Amino acid sequence: MSTTAAAPAPGASREDLAALEERWGERPSLRSWFGTVDHKRIGRRYLVTAGFFFILAGLSALAMRTQLARPESRLLSPQEYNQLFTMHGTAMIFLFATPMLFGFGNFLVPLMIGSRDMAFPKLNALGYWVFLFAGLFMWASLPFGAAPNGGWFAYVPLTERTNTPGLHMDVYSLGLLFLGIATTAGSINFIVTALKLRAPGMSLNRVPLFVWAIVATAFMVIFALPALNLDNAMLFLDRRFGTHFFDPGAAGNVLLWQHLFWIFGHPDVYIIVMPALGIVSAVLPAFTRRGVVGYPLIVFAIVAISIISFGVWVHHMFATGLPRLSYSFFSAASTIITIPSGIQIFAWLATMALGRVVLKVPMLFLIGFVVTFVLGGFTGTMFALTAFDQQVTDSYFVVAHFHYVLIGGAVFPMLAGIYYWLPKITGRMYHEGLGRWAFWLVFAGMHVTFFPMHLYGLFGMPRRVYTYRSEPGWDGWNLVSTAGSYLLAIGLLLVLIGVLHAIRRGRPAPPDPWGADSLEWSTDSPPKPYNFPVLPRVHSLHPTWDEASRESMGAGATRDRILADGRRTLLTSELDGSRERVVEMPEASLQPLVLALAMLVFFTAMLVAWYPVAAVAAVAVAATIAVWLWPPRRPERELGVQP
Amino acid sequence: MSTHPGPRARLTGGLLFWYAVLGGAIAWAVHLLAVWGVDELTCAGGRERIGALPLRAVIGAAVVLPALATVGALLAAALVWRRTSHPPEGVDERPVGRGRMAAVVAIWSNLLFLTIIVLGGIALLVLPPCLR
Ligand code: HEM
Ligand SMILES: [Cu+2]
Repeated sequence: MSTTAAAPAPGASREDLAALEERWGERPSLRSWFGTVDHKRIGRRYLVTAGFFFILAGLSALAMRTQLARPESRLLSPQEYNQLFTMHGTAMIFLFATPMLFGFGNFLVPLMIGSRDMAFPKLNALGYWVFLFAGLFMWASLPFGAAPNGGWFAYVPLTERTNTPGLHMDVYSLGLLFLGIATTAGSINFIVTALKLRAPGMSLNRVPLFVWAIVATAFMVIFALPALNLDNAMLFLDRRFGTHFFDPGAAGNVLLWQHLFWIFGHPDVYIIVMPALGIVSAVLPAFTRRGVVGYPLIVFAIVAISIISFGVWVHHMFATGLPRLSYSFFSAASTIITIPSGIQIFAWLATMALGRVVLKVPMLFLIGFVVTFVLGGFTGTMFALTAFDQQVTDSYFVVAHFHYVLIGGAVFPMLAGIYYWLPKITGRMYHEGLGRWAFWLVFAGMHVTFFPMHLYGLFGMPRRVYTYRSEPGWDGWNLVSTAGSYLLAIGLLLVLIGVLHAIRRGRPAPPDPWGADSLEWSTDSPPKPYNFPVLPRVHSLHPTWDEASRESMGAGATRDRILADGRRTLLTSELDGSRERVVEMPEASLQPLVLALAMLVFFTAMLVAWYPVAAVAAVAVAATIAVWLWPPRRPERELGVQP
Repeated sequence: MSTHPGPRARLTGGLLFWYAVLGGAIAWAVHLLAVWGVDELTCAGGRERIGALPLRAVIGAAVVLPALATVGALLAAALVWRRTSHPPEGVDERPVGRGRMAAVVAIWSNLLFLTIIVLGGIALLVLPPCLR
């Protein structure tokens, strides 16, 4: 299939390869499993763990749909239903969507920019462990009947202690604070990696669109997440220690929660969708046989969206009675932000029109993405009519809308990405026929489930109800939705089977099975622990398609890009990607795991109010960080490592 | 971006570049915080004046000044674009290519931010500042 398979690096000698293997390889052992800092292993773990949380959140959804199949069924109690929809929403947003995309980012960013690892490999490992523990922390509350139950946006005063007693919302606030550490650490890592570790020659106008999208997302996280963290910290203090941040009776403010939540929450929609759109831009060239049309315009769209998305949050609060003029300033931004999104869609359509479309499974999912996402965008613009918005607020119409956006805009691109990069990640090809079945089932299941929700939403069915009386137009369509959700589940199961089948039985994958353009396809499938035997020198936006860049890893290899005498990679300048110096990368370490465990103890102790234990855990956290950051004592000659 | 600029020229060139790229975004952010904050706080206090000035004039200034700053950034971006369109022979192609991409991004984003600010200005002409 491939015409451009990378040659096995004639540039690096046998001794170089042995030295690289010696420095970077990890012998399978328990210690290396817990201590690894390899971005590819960490990325894989992110993908698997996020997939696991997706299954849990999906099973919660199936339970809800089963309950709602018929009017007045008694499968779930109202209390259970509240916890299920809250955990479903919270987990899908925080424990599945963002971590899954960060998993792709972790695996791919260093490969796409031609580096040997992330900028801070140990921080990367910490991010993964914190994510895992925070996710388990939140899900573990469900069997105890203590899971969050105030909806995924947890509005006060409903979520204050007087109205929601029990641990529920403490799990929510502490869990998200804990998780925030992982997301923040990951974002810092992406930004520094993409700015400092790009292969020489990769100036900003040669950075793959996926990397642009991940970096823009990371910047959005850095600016948006503090608002959510502040909100959750205040909620926890209000609930546990009787402060009055949200209590109007003591000069607190209820709207404060909503403002802070949506200052985070609207950018979060783009935090979820943006990297997924980056996947679209990465997958498309391979299946249209050309570069994405309008590269600078897409970069512009990514940058513009990530900035403007911070100026639109008030559109979630049109019902709270601010001056009309104030709203207008936010509506202006809310309207204009659709332009850059539209630019991206048109650029992709133009790419498909001008290229030669190859209908493999990843491409099918891309087409499914365009159809579904555009429908979701269409119902989104309907909300701009205030009268309509007032009618459908808090009805199933809204649930339909945001599942079109989130499943269309995030899940379909992720599925495309899974099939597309599976050969790179596992070194095995997937089964095309199985993949096609999975696509059609997922696509049909998605629309059969969620399209009817528009209808019974318009017929007046409110969201977040655990059951309903028989009403004209409700019963039949609800049954259809439920049937659709089982169809969707079967489709997703086929995806899982396809992945497992590929790992167990798949044909070995060549380095570049698709004839694709970016750097990850210039190295082995799966890549060696050191990623590239010779770090590339980049000459264009499509390095795997251009002779000069490929040659830089083969016949044109130079010693200063092999760096076999140590665990090293290259540092380059932010704008032009000019070589700066060689840096030493850290070895595997158990510190990230220990630190994450200490944090887990801290948050658990806070939850169950064992404050002395929490204090001890806090000391352990501080001590681990101190050991981590203690300057290493190195022999003199090692200190002066220079190119 | 010519052959060998001195440090002064490099500095002004760099400042111009960053003004072109970020000017509109920063102007819009300042504009949004100013108009929203001033409008809501003044109206919540039951007033329609700030000191001697009518509220509308203050908000108007918070529309016009950022709009002008954005127009300036747009011009700067156009200048960067012009300068990168005919690179002299023999210069490193990377800074030029990168500068040109930045110029395209800057032109479009300044236009976009200008549109948002102008739309807000139109709302100011139509709506009384404290109407709820
Ligand atoms: C896989 C198939 C899925 C099914 C069958 C499903 C089903 C549902 C249902 C029935 C509800 C409404 C519950 C109610 O209002 O009573 C809901 C809510 C929600 N879903 Fe999904 N969903 C799916 C996937 C997703 C995905 C992929 C995401 C996000 C990435 C997501 C995010 C949400 C959110 C945020 C809510 C709102 C929760 C709340 O009201 O607090 N869902 N889902
Ligand atoms: Cu929003």
